Amino acid sequence: MHAKPAPTAVIADDERLMREQIVGRLKEAWPELLIVGEAGNGREAVAMVQSLEPDIVFLDINMPELDGIKAAQALAGQAHVVFVTAYDEYAISAFDHGAIDYLLKPVEPERVALACRRLRERLQQKPDPMNDLLEQLAQRLGSGGLKPREYLRWVQASVGATIRMIPTSDILFFRAEDKYTRVQTEGFEALIRKPIKELIDALDPNEFWQIHRATVVRVDAVAQVSRNFRGNQLVHVKGREEKLEVSRSFSHLFKQM
Amino acid sequence: MNTDQPGPGAGNAAEHGTSPPSLQPSETRQALRDIRSAIVMLWWRFFDWLAVVPWKTLVLVSVLGLILAAILHYHKPFLLFIVASVIIKVVAGGKRRAELTASQATQRADTEQLERTVLEARMEALQAQIEPHFLFNTLASIDQLIQTDPPRASRMQQSLIRYLRSAMPQMRDGSRPSLGQQVNLSSAFLEIMAVRMEQRLEPIVNVPEGLKSAVFPSLMLQTLVENAVKHGLEPKAAGGRLEISAEIVDGQLAVHVLDNGVGFMPKTDDGVGLANIRERLKALYNGRAELIISVPPAGGTCATIKVPYEIAPAT
Repeated sequence: MHAKPAPTAVIADDERLMREQIVGRLKEAWPELLIVGEAGNGREAVAMVQSLEPDIVFLDINMPELDGIKAAQALAGQAHVVFVTAYDEYAISAFDHGAIDYLLKPVEPERVALACRRLRERLQQKPDPMNDLLEQLAQRLGSGGLKPREYLRWVQASVGATIRMIPTSDILFFRAEDKYTRVQTEGFEALIRKPIKELIDALDPNEFWQIHRATVVRVDAVAQVSRNFRGNQLVHVKGREEKLEVSRSFSHLFKQM
Repeated sequence: MNTDQPGPGAGNAAEHGTSPPSLQPSETRQALRDIRSAIVMLWWRFFDWLAVVPWKTLVLVSVLGLILAAILHYHKPFLLFIVASVIIKVVAGGKRRAELTASQATQRADTEQLERTVLEARMEALQAQIEPHFLFNTLASIDQLIQTDPPRASRMQQSLIRYLRSAMPQMRDGSRPSLGQQVNLSSAFLEIMAVRMEQRLEPIVNVPEGLKSAVFPSLMLQTLVENAVKHGLEPKAAGGRLEISAEIVDGQLAVHVLDNGVGFMPKTDDGVGLANIRERLKALYNGRAELIISVPPAGGTCATIKVPYEIAPAT
């Protein structure tokens, strides 16, 4: 009977010092384990595991390009996964029932030894893709697919010669003007190319209301609503002379309570 | 001490035999002074009451007092007292009332100022929160360097101490922060991050020596620098450059943090730190300061804080 081939591992962390530390600790705890590759980001880690086919992959959670959780999802059971993190803000420890193992940085020799013992047992079986567990973790990390819709928080607009990022909380209203849309704040106005029609889909409906085909106003910026001689509603915006007309189809927005 | 020869009119003290007789006259004087100050205080309290009390109440109190005085047969002096009160109220009441209103207004203004200061302190404390990820990753790096490169570990630990000293609000003295202090704090942070990120971070600090004495609010520069590293450079596999610079533009001090990272995401709601800076600038400078986020032609992000240029008092 010949000896089983030595177990192999890939280590992924964006900081070289941290990779060095894990490699060093693993050498002490498990001298037979062969480190076949080191990756500096999640994408590299996935490519490396796919080409080198190691038994084990140590994945840092906060990595550029692809975080550790997404990398584990992409690998879907191609290797046994151990997560590494500096600070367990997503409470991976709560999943610590042997299914997912994790190490906290700086990694302690005793903790590494325990992880290695568990890995030797896990190596007897095929790696578990852990789809459900990873999905739950991904959601905690905010990278899951079931997130609430994201709205625009900043508008990129030209002000003079520079391109500025204007926080939506600074914007009083948007108004269609010829080919452009005017962005009005308390201190200045800027022009963007995005038409009102597209803008209204990207804005938070609790923050901005469309009151006219050509006008979108921030709800908090409305000072009062009056009527003109034709009976149309006019929106007065805080700190500005200009009044914005409300078209009939949007007049229900300002119905009296 | 001589106690068997009591002084004249000091029976009580002599019986107890505790106070020397030579102190008797001064004690009497003290008691008289106390009574006098109590009367003066009572008089002014009555005067203040008289100044602000409505006429209706004064009439009611007078009538009730007069009835009581009549029962006790003291109505004549009391009538005189009422007439005197009315004259005082007519002659001096208006001035006194104005004085009282003014002092109340000052008190209210002081309270508002205090509330603003408390709000600013609270927002500053919010901004001073040290990211656990940063702290634990840095400690883990130091742990590794202790084994492989002890002198470097020591330098990194010194940078961490320098950073913590100026980043924790309770560890700073009460003086107004200068741009120099804020640049030092961010330099310590960048030294640490450069050791950890190696060639992925190229920090440049380009602040003229002459501007370092300018007043600049605490922790705002640091928030911009941390944002540039966290949202601009760390997500980029190749990393990039981060430059802190300062200049005077139209009499205002402009401090820029420029990076060539992945660029600003219009949907990021991580504007908490930035929103905090905006609020603090409003509270501290009342519209004379601003935070501008712009996109440089070469990509990445440029964040600028403009505040009125002011030299920090020497400490």
